[in-house]
Amino acid sequence: MSFHPKMAYDATFHKSSRTLADPGPPFTFTPERRARLDEVLTRYPPDRKRSAVLPALYLAQQQHGYITGNAMRHIAEILEITPADVEDVVSYYTMFYTKPVGRFVLNVCRTLSCALNGAERVTEELCAKLHIKPGETDTSGTFTLVEVECLGACDRAPVVMVNDAWHECVSPESVGHMLDSLRTRGESALTGCHLAVEKR
Amino acid sequence: MIEVVDTVTLTLDGRQITVEKGKTVLQAALEHGVSLPYYCYHPGIGIDGSCRVCIVKIEKMPKLQTSCSTVCTDGMVVDTQSPDVHAARAGVFEFLLINHPLDCPVCDKGGECPLQDFSYTFGPDNSRMEFPRRVFDGEGVKADVDFGPTLMLNRNRCIMCTRCVRFMGLVDGDAQIGVINRGNGSEIGTFNDEGVHSLMSGNLVDVCPVGAITTRDYRFKSRPWDNPSVTDTICTQCSKGCNTTAWLKAKPEWAKGSSLIRFTPRFNADVNQYWMCDIGRFNYRWVEGDDRLRAPLVRDAQGTQQRASWADLMPKLRDRLAQAGQSSPDGVKFLVSAHASNEELFLFRRLTEELLGPSGPSTITVSWRVTPKQQPPRTTFKVPAVDAPNVNGARAFGLVTGAVGDPQGPSNVGALQAAVAAGSVTALFVFDPGPDGTLGDSQWLLDARAAGQLPLLIVQGVLMTSLAKAADFVLPGASFVEKDASYTNDQGWLQATSRALATPGDAREDWQILVDLASGLGVQLGYTSAATVRGDIAARMGGAVGLVGIEGLAFASTMSARTWLQASNPSERWKWDFMYQDLPPVKGAVEPSSLPPPPGLIPLKEVK
Repeated sequence: MSFHPKMAYDATFHKSSRTLADPGPPFTFTPERRARLDEVLTRYPPDRKRSAVLPALYLAQQQHGYITGNAMRHIAEILEITPADVEDVVSYYTMFYTKPVGRFVLNVCRTLSCALNGAERVTEELCAKLHIKPGETDTSGTFTLVEVECLGACDRAPVVMVNDAWHECVSPESVGHMLDSLRTRGESALTGCHLAVEKR
Repeated sequence: MIEVVDTVTLTLDGRQITVEKGKTVLQAALEHGVSLPYYCYHPGIGIDGSCRVCIVKIEKMPKLQTSCSTVCTDGMVVDTQSPDVHAARAGVFEFLLINHPLDCPVCDKGGECPLQDFSYTFGPDNSRMEFPRRVFDGEGVKADVDFGPTLMLNRNRCIMCTRCVRFMGLVDGDAQIGVINRGNGSEIGTFNDEGVHSLMSGNLVDVCPVGAITTRDYRFKSRPWDNPSVTDTICTQCSKGCNTTAWLKAKPEWAKGSSLIRFTPRFNADVNQYWMCDIGRFNYRWVEGDDRLRAPLVRDAQGTQQRASWADLMPKLRDRLAQAGQSSPDGVKFLVSAHASNEELFLFRRLTEELLGPSGPSTITVSWRVTPKQQPPRTTFKVPAVDAPNVNGARAFGLVTGAVGDPQGPSNVGALQAAVAAGSVTALFVFDPGPDGTLGDSQWLLDARAAGQLPLLIVQGVLMTSLAKAADFVLPGASFVEKDASYTNDQGWLQATSRALATPGDAREDWQILVDLASGLGVQLGYTSAATVRGDIAARMGGAVGLVGIEGLAFASTMSARTWLQASNPSERWKWDFMYQDLPPVKGAVEPSSLPPPPGLIPLKEVK
């Protein structure tokens, strides 16, 4: 109910996007990843272990594909912080997934430069081709579509980040080709300028 | 020795003020009576700088600064009243209120809510927000959620000051609360919605500046203006002796329910800072509960306890006690809970000395319960294990071994237990003015009584405990909120509870009962009030550690809540000024006194 004459107080609801973390199967780091995390921990003072929460979360995501409640508990135990501290970080960053994602996560930039160059139409096209909505994974489990804020490649807008690499100057017409080549050739199909930089 | 404090001098709203070095502009302003709003800052949990409402103009600084995070320096020129500060502040308030529901009439915080007060004072008079508010209530979603066993969380009302997050991390020591998601979607939450499980959870209600966190205990029970009187007292449920305030609900005489409505902590830098634990906060219903002793009881010839008047009871009690004392002078023993105040301990000591000579006090055994509390290792607020307020008082009177300030272990009732088992105790007088169980283990007494080893059992206390049920005489006394009494806490501080309520029914204050009992036994102690008892303590043992200054102890009288709120915690003081006014300040309203008098009326002149 609204006390305000003009304000439709209950016309739309902001549903909390919080989903309780799926506890998942019991989680412990594999010995290699644990060793890697221990190496990272040596870079910080012993009483500031919480500084390593981001690397730890990346390792957990590598291992399980997404971050489960049990993974958060495990990390909290290692870093001597509380699970709430870890969930705080996980839910803040868009790069951490709390639900299973596809093999390729398509992060479509929707900030100014990309939006002006038609990022919305790219998203629409991707939705139509994959039969999903932003935030969802297609039935084959190959692609997950996410809308994100600026990816830092405004000169080559619109840009789509696939997992950790850019695909630039995307247009609604080229989207189909991108999906096909990703399916056949994997991440080597991407055209981002990061490739050029790394070759140099 | 005069302590030299480094100071800095700055100009605040055109006034030269001098403050201690290291103070922030906000602290300096509050100390000097300048009204500044603040949410994320709290004196007990430090500075965050996230709410932005405390912004002020500081000369030579390019932008407005958050006063809570700016440290005073010499020659600083601060302006809290310039038009751009007013405008910026109003802008921040407009943002704080874009999602905050206007449900003050049904909100538990309404009336004592800093968001309400500050918005009235500093905020804009309307909102330009035309979009739907962020509302958590909806299909399958509720804004009001469980927040652990003691709390409820209303996520709609939260303004993300993160005081609760920081309280749990810094004071409680276990950061169970976090900010979930980000930006407009941020919400306060616990991992996996497990809720807050902490002995300190009640303090989250005090730190929350809006009605987002409320206690299940006080929720919907009363409104601030229904609690017109408060009494400053101390908590007696453990040896810490937190300074607290008892809130009394105004209600007609015929209304049911208790008048003691809640306890809140009161700032004391040496004892409890700004906090108190949940045991002290929530365990108060026994005071006005159904188990409360309201009339003296005497066991009749058939073996049932019958109500009696004090006048009927006292001769019978005197006869039975005198008989027991004559048959074996060493057979009369006293078992006193460490919930007894200094006055009562002193009276027991006097009574036994008068009756049995200098060795009299050796017949007194002081007992208490020890329950270690589960707390995170990093907590800065340790709740002691001893569930009694006055073990150190008993030490000061020589009734318990050890010096005032020694660590307090479990009580030693072994000698009494052995004497009871040997059948040499002809009469046992138990004094237990604390909540049920705080006397410590009493099962052995019940067993001895059932086995016929205790011919006479007298219980003076407040609750119908299993021990009182087994007693021959039950004398109803006063609980800690019903008497002016003094206690010596585990640090050795002498502190006082104050009388907030009248004793129920025929119950009497304990010093009165003991003096009457003594006079029945032929000992005229000559005390006419608890104050005269304290005067005599000072005269006889005024220099004893833990009792110094007992004669001049100040007791709070019940006062209006408004006065209390203004006079309490100095750095939170001014924000309460708008409470308890009949009407909120109306913007643009004209002060009647500023209007010219109507024609033909001779204005009153002030008589000098």
